[in-house]
Amino acid sequence: MERLQRAAILTELMDRLRANGSWCGETHVQKAVYFLQEILGVPTGFEYILYKHGSYSFDLTADLTALRADFLMELNHRSPGYGPCLVPTPTSLELRERYPRTLANHQAQVEFIANAFGERGVADLEKLATALFVTREMGETSDPLQRASRIHELKPHVSEAEALASLQEFERIARDAKSLTPQATHA
Amino acid sequence: MSKHVHEIRDPIHVFVRLDSDERAVIDSRPFQRLRHIHQLALTYLLYPAATHKRFEHSLGVMELAGRVFDIVTSPLNVTDQFGNSLSNLSNPDALRYWRRAVRIAALCHDMGHLPFSHAAEKELLPPGWNHERLTREIIHSPEMEQLFNRMTPPLRPEDVEKLAVGQKEAKDLSFSTWETILSEIIVGDAFGVDRMDYLLRDSHHSGVAYGRFDHFRLIDTLRILPSGDRQSGQPTLGVEEGGLHSAEALSLARYYMYTQVYFHPVRRIYDIHLKDFLAADLPSGKFPTDLELHLQNTDNEVNARILSAARDSAGRGHDAARRIVGHKHYKTLYQRHPDDVRVNPNAGKAVFDAASGRFGTENVRHDSYTQKHDPLLFPVLCKDGRVVTANQLSEVLQHLTVVAVDFVFIKPDLLKEATAWLQANREQIIQPPKEQ
Repeated sequence: MERLQRAAILTELMDRLRANGSWCGETHVQKAVYFLQEILGVPTGFEYILYKHGSYSFDLTADLTALRADFLMELNHRSPGYGPCLVPTPTSLELRERYPRTLANHQAQVEFIANAFGERGVADLEKLATALFVTREMGETSDPLQRASRIHELKPHVSEAEALASLQEFERIARDAKSLTPQATHA
Repeated sequence: MSKHVHEIRDPIHVFVRLDSDERAVIDSRPFQRLRHIHQLALTYLLYPAATHKRFEHSLGVMELAGRVFDIVTSPLNVTDQFGNSLSNLSNPDALRYWRRAVRIAALCHDMGHLPFSHAAEKELLPPGWNHERLTREIIHSPEMEQLFNRMTPPLRPEDVEKLAVGQKEAKDLSFSTWETILSEIIVGDAFGVDRMDYLLRDSHHSGVAYGRFDHFRLIDTLRILPSGDRQSGQPTLGVEEGGLHSAEALSLARYYMYTQVYFHPVRRIYDIHLKDFLAADLPSGKFPTDLELHLQNTDNEVNARILSAARDSAGRGHDAARRIVGHKHYKTLYQRHPDDVRVNPNAGKAVFDAASGRFGTENVRHDSYTQKHDPLLFPVLCKDGRVVTANQLSEVLQHLTVVAVDFVFIKPDLLKEATAWLQANREQIIQPPKEQ
């Protein structure tokens, strides 16, 4: 997928997240794109690693910075206690008009993720994304208790009980995603 | 009796102090090679005094890394809120080990640089290789591992590797929270001493004052803090409120040095001419990744070949070589303009494609770069004990522009005609295509 196609999808996703109540900071977008790519099969091509706040892509951060440079997104800093929220600009609407096929191909997946993640806070998203990361690492048929233990090992501030609950929630989202589209892939 | 502490004079830090184990690393062949790698490639063709090398930069990074480590691990500056994840902070033996690891990693962080540093890295190495990967290979070479093994206690090469390149360039390795913080001391986006040293040093040698900032104050106020954006509170490098203006100054220094020096169009076109020369000169158009061959390659060997090729009209890479030697570089035909970007973020590429079609691909060159990360969210420890993200306190950081450049260059004798052509056709050329 080319950079401007990704830009069209990213700005559409941000608008949909915001419409669904999300604060839409970088962490929200990082986790939402991780699920969009890994569970719903949208080929954005970002490489994810496990970093400070769970799964994270340096490539996606570079793309988000480029969106600012290209006047497709702005940061809103009026946010006591939180990082800035990412706000697509009117220029991004013009860009999206030039990629009707790309957006039509992935509209349902974007909408699904925006609905599933819009109202979640960053701590919740971190746990869900780490659940996905660990499930990919250990395999989806591995023992959930062992996966919960691994999540706790990687993120000591997440208790094993919280990790287990996150795994169950992740699996519910993945099941719903599977029924959404034949393109969807499970971890 | 031999000395155990040595001093090296330095124009930026006055003295760089080191012990005999660190001196052994400096005396190694991979480190001595850095005496022959220009820090800023061919920038000296534009800023004549910018002839400094990776050697002194690496010494400076070690000096600053040690200072930052001492500040952030001082009992006076450490809070107990991180529990077991940072247990090394209360273990004197562990602190001694990791202080050495940080300083040695700082020394080694640039060992993999190709001739002329970044100028030709991306296109002139095989896929999957960059200077950080070469650095990792050198750290694990028998020569370096032997040096690390002789230290007391022995230094684990994998620790040096992680701290020297950071997680971004070692995605295959798992980093603990502690290792992540220590790698941030060297290569972190917000407060990495690699950046601090190169801004100060490049500014000094190029004669451009923009890169200066109060690094003494900044380093004195660095702390390990919970990330301040109400996330998981993971520890990271931050700053006391009293150092926020110094942190702003660092960001501004970076912005101005990028726009005035690193991305000056003449510097960029010399990089392209160098790349053109090397693509013609190197066997298969690529630098070797074999470590022995890598260590034999410096700016000196490449410069000798450039001078030779410039004299020989039948020599490989003659045209690029004579442009470098004779200062006959291509001229700027187009540079990024905000109005164009709003119409088409790929405006530079559109101009390049059209100009190449009109004037021939051999006569036109394109160069673009956009900053990868904008470190606004480092934590700040307020005077009242709260920890908040820097963007909430600093309007300077809120309004800092992302660095982005986009140039199209053309052969000098075509500039006049091409400029008139571009003026007549600009709007049409930059119109973006619509997806079918």
